[in-house]
Amino acid sequence: MTSKLTYMGAIGMAALSSVAAAPAFAAGTTAGTTITNTATVDYQVGGVAQGQQSASNNFTVDRKINLLVEEVGTVTTNVVPGQTNAVTTFQLTNSANETLDFALVASQIAGGTAAHGGTDTFDATNVRVYRDNIATGTVGSWDVGDTLLTGYVDELVVDTAIRLFVVADIPAALANNAVAGVTLRATAREGGVAGTQGAAITETTGANTAGKDTVFADIAGVTGDAARDGAHSDNDDYTVQTATLAVTKTSRVISDPFNNTSNPKLIPGAVVEYCIAVANSGSAPATSVIINDPVPGQLTFSAGTILLNGTVTAGTCNADGAAGGSYAAPNVSGTIATIAAGATRTLVFRATVN
Amino acid sequence: MRTALFLLFAALLPGQALAANQVALDNNVFVERVSTDAQGKQRILLEEPKVVVPGDRLVFVLNYRNAGAQPADKFVITNPLPAAVRFADAGDTRPFVSVDGGKQWGLLSDLSVPMTDGTRRAAQPADVTHIRWAFQNPIPVGGTGKLMFRGVVK
Repeated sequence: MTSKLTYMGAIGMAALSSVAAAPAFAAGTTAGTTITNTATVDYQVGGVAQGQQSASNNFTVDRKINLLVEEVGTVTTNVVPGQTNAVTTFQLTNSANETLDFALVASQIAGGTAAHGGTDTFDATNVRVYRDNIATGTVGSWDVGDTLLTGYVDELVVDTAIRLFVVADIPAALANNAVAGVTLRATAREGGVAGTQGAAITETTGANTAGKDTVFADIAGVTGDAARDGAHSDNDDYTVQTATLAVTKTSRVISDPFNNTSNPKLIPGAVVEYCIAVANSGSAPATSVIINDPVPGQLTFSAGTILLNGTVTAGTCNADGAAGGSYAAPNVSGTIATIAAGATRTLVFRATVN
Repeated sequence: MRTALFLLFAALLPGQALAANQVALDNNVFVERVSTDAQGKQRILLEEPKVVVPGDRLVFVLNYRNAGAQPADKFVITNPLPAAVRFADAGDTRPFVSVDGGKQWGLLSDLSVPMTDGTRRAAQPADVTHIRWAFQNPIPVGGTGKLMFRGVVK
């Protein structure tokens, strides 16, 4: 360029109008849009304004297929054995520049490391996918108002994220910390008509066309889900959190009729204290723990000696707790409301040697 | 009289018919693609806009030529930005821009945009709605030049 440009003063800087900047869209210009650029020239010859000259070009915006499946939150879903309707939450975003359907497949990983570190050891059953209903119920959480999907999300508009719930049942009799990994994979399909899953989408290969081409722009998902395949996926998992209880029973001689409490011996008439300790080594609290212990026939239960919910220190029964429990010959029994994960609670009673 | 006649012509005839003899302008668009070769060197390729998706970088190139028999004075090229294109930069061509639909013009660094709370912020490339190059000196007979700007498909 040889000519110097003139920097004309901006005219009327004081009289500013309020034109808001156009909102930016992540997914961008709708596929099939024709972009026309026109430049015009104004000039003079011999001091006389000449007719305006203009030049244009145009091109068509192609279709960019992009989507994102993300686990919501980065923690496992804790479940208990036998639980029904255990929920893991995902988010699906249509980042393409066209309204699309999305085929959904919720599958279980087979062995290997699950999303949050554990090793996959079991499969959940009755796996379903629900779409969050943002009009009713608890938005963002699974509830009865959510829609059970039949394999696809219908007509998801551009730049929209929806919540999907993978809901499954957990088998009974699973060990603490057992893990089941689940994968949710979404594959872009043609938007087509509402209420029907659209046709599969293929990328435009070979020569480009002047019309609307299709380009896959998705990133790679979980293992086996490559980039630019029109699909995306993410993993989540269920972790079993249950109580694991172990019972130990100890006894000690409190007194005998001759030595009293000084080095008492187990002779008839001696008082013996039993301590039944229940330890929870699992990850969930155990509730309504019922302890039942038949008193041997050679002993006579000492009424009013039952102490419930006592503690153990370094393996030694503290013989503490609150009065409670009951005796119905020959059984001593009591219920401890809650034994927290990692805690040990006791039932203590005394009996006399016959 | 001669002036009046010219003006009359300019008003009555389609612009093309009169100007076509004087100034030629042509407008091209390319997609800018960056490829990295085996040595890790980046190469920038300008391609025909066949496959264009949101986020692609575009280069608009305007070529002008004074095909007339007299110098063209007060030469101004105006390019409204297509709605689906976000302005990026204009290389070293230092155009005037407008961020309000062509009402006011200035260097991007001198312009500002009103905010909803009544204050103003400095204009950003994304705010640009029009681009204009105004030449100080006449374009001599046969003089040619090239202008360019970059944009991104929204």
